[in-house]
Amino acid sequence: MMKKRIFVAMMAAAMAMTSLAGCGSGAGKSTGGNAEAKVEAPTEPFGDTIKYDPSVEINDGKDISVELWEWGSDDLFQQVIDGYTAIHPNVSIKLVNNPWEDYWTKLPLALDGDKGPAIFNVHNSYHENLINYMAPLDIPLEDLQADFTGVDAHVIDGKVYYIDYGMMTGSVYYNKKMWEEAGLTEADIPKTWDEMREVAKKLTKRDGDKLIQAGLNFNDDFHQNYLLGLNYQLGEKLFQEDGRTPNVNSDAMKKVMQMLVDMYEVDGVGSKDFGEKGADSFGQGQSAMVIQWGHYYNTLKTTWSDIDFGVFEIPTFDGNPYAYNRYNGESTFGVNKNAPADQQAVAQDFIKYFLANDEAQINFNLAMSTFPAKKSLANNEKILENPSLKVLSEHIDHYIWPGPMPSTVETSLKKAGQDIFFNGVDIDTALNEAQENIIKDMKNSSFVSVENLYAFDK
Amino acid sequence: MKRKASSIILNLILLVVGAVTVYPFVWMLFSSFKKNSEIMALEQHLLPQEFILDNYVNMNAHFNFVRFFLNSLLVTVVVTLLVVYTSTICGFVLSKYKFKGRNFLFGFVLSTMMIPWCVTIIPKYSMIQSFGWMDSYKALIIPAMFSGFGIFMMKQHIASIPDEIIEAARIDGANEFFIFHRIILPMAKNGISSIAIFQFLWTWEDFLWPYLVINSQEKQLLAVGLKMFNGQYSTDYGALFAATAISIVPVLLIYLFFQKQFIAGIAASAVKG
Repeated sequence: MMKKRIFVAMMAAAMAMTSLAGCGSGAGKSTGGNAEAKVEAPTEPFGDTIKYDPSVEINDGKDISVELWEWGSDDLFQQVIDGYTAIHPNVSIKLVNNPWEDYWTKLPLALDGDKGPAIFNVHNSYHENLINYMAPLDIPLEDLQADFTGVDAHVIDGKVYYIDYGMMTGSVYYNKKMWEEAGLTEADIPKTWDEMREVAKKLTKRDGDKLIQAGLNFNDDFHQNYLLGLNYQLGEKLFQEDGRTPNVNSDAMKKVMQMLVDMYEVDGVGSKDFGEKGADSFGQGQSAMVIQWGHYYNTLKTTWSDIDFGVFEIPTFDGNPYAYNRYNGESTFGVNKNAPADQQAVAQDFIKYFLANDEAQINFNLAMSTFPAKKSLANNEKILENPSLKVLSEHIDHYIWPGPMPSTVETSLKKAGQDIFFNGVDIDTALNEAQENIIKDMKNSSFVSVENLYAFDK
Repeated sequence: MKRKASSIILNLILLVVGAVTVYPFVWMLFSSFKKNSEIMALEQHLLPQEFILDNYVNMNAHFNFVRFFLNSLLVTVVVTLLVVYTSTICGFVLSKYKFKGRNFLFGFVLSTMMIPWCVTIIPKYSMIQSFGWMDSYKALIIPAMFSGFGIFMMKQHIASIPDEIIEAARIDGANEFFIFHRIILPMAKNGISSIAIFQFLWTWEDFLWPYLVINSQEKQLLAVGLKMFNGQYSTDYGALFAATAISIVPVLLIYLFFQKQFIAGIAASAVKG
């Protein structure tokens, strides 16, 4: 009897909760076209150098269906699909949403046969796993170069398989309330690392010896947001002349690492034990400043919406850096070279539509907090309304992409930093070890740095 | 007196172990009513400081929760029923019929349990692809119809049923079909409950295989949906906990329903051979 009651109670609870879920907005993702909002189909050609002509039929006007695989942002992709299918009602694009991590297991398996998706979202960190399944873009290289920055870094034997639609990099996020409490104003926004350290000291709070508010927190971030980028400010690249030998035990890297150690151990603006992750500590209102990449802007807006924050550009050592920082690109889609020819033709046309379509470019960049790679959008009003993008606009051409680096570069430097902070290893030894480790791990990698393609290369 | 004291100590230890085991689930349940900032806050409270239902109401922002839930329920129930039936019938044959190669066959069944799943997943994927079963429930149900573990369990369990009962039924004119369905199945209730619970749980929580073979959102299962909360840069913990809280209800119900038979079945399979 008792068991029956529990059963009934649990069933009732489950039904109530599932029906509650059913009431929610979103109502499940429509994988087909958007029936509610009618999308206006343009009739005139649009775009800059890459022009998209809506009057040109695709697949001779015959019905065709293709799949587009992506992760995470289905609304964003659906908007582009709706725009495209409004022009070409004979084309049906089925959107397949995937969890980020497992996408990289499923996608190569699917691409290995002839039944994989014709179009798929790409992340350059998986370049080596995907490139052999991709068809080159059917758009003249000169047109891509004319409209987008960073195209040269994606050229392989004269062909381009994907480019970046946006560039993501690091900026300083600061807590406005703490800033005011410390008596700081807009005029105090630091331009150099020396000024940054002074500001961080003012933002640090202690109760006796106990740190209660970090001026700057780089826990769990130092490798990604400092070591792999500030070397450029000092004129040193991450890879040596041959593009394959790492340069992580350079003088520049040692100087950056020493600065980080001094900030915690000499200035006392933070501590390795004050919050496991700097990004979370900032969101929890425990740290006044963090350096984070563009995606953090969206995290603050969603997860940490109570924090009133501002953003400023990363400081430099002398105000005249070789480059400000490293960036990474958010990639355009790939075309599956094993897909049937008619599906590949749709995929090529869809990518052309995406590249020519300013609205899609703006939406994707705002959603990812990336600076548009499309040159004509550099001063776009909507883009500059996003503070994390506005701070990049002045010097965006002074950021470097080293290419799709193997993950060992990041993990080896992370270990080096942890050895220095937690295990008392000296900077020289830790960075030498990282250098050796990266060389060993990269033996079977085909990676060659594209740092030499930086516009202001020495 | 000494016995009483040791019983109290034992119960106290079990209470602590139980609390430690259950606490994460309780924390998850309460956290499903919190905002993400509260879940991630430095100062943690078990009970929500600000009680919200948004995580449940907005669950569909990530995927069609109800649809995924029902898909999972359908696939899990069908697979569980099939596995229970095939395991019992195979267990019956291997246990009660004497024929040449019986031990070899049983050894072969056991060996399937010893091959790690990650070794078979790629050939299995290629086979499903060449059969044209991708994006269909055939790919989820047919390869899962037979379970080495289930056959092993049921063989052990059915061995405990006296042969005399089967012989008496035969003398009374019962055919093998009747014997299996009217005598063996009811008498193997405890073993069936154990297999049903295990299989239900494994199928319900299986992620990788459904993810690899199902593409359509309208056919996708809940275990795959739960992974959608983990984004590239962040995780929507509140919604994840809300969805997980609902997703464990069917498993709890199954266990609650069959727990007595489950324990008896496990014990019987462990000692009879």
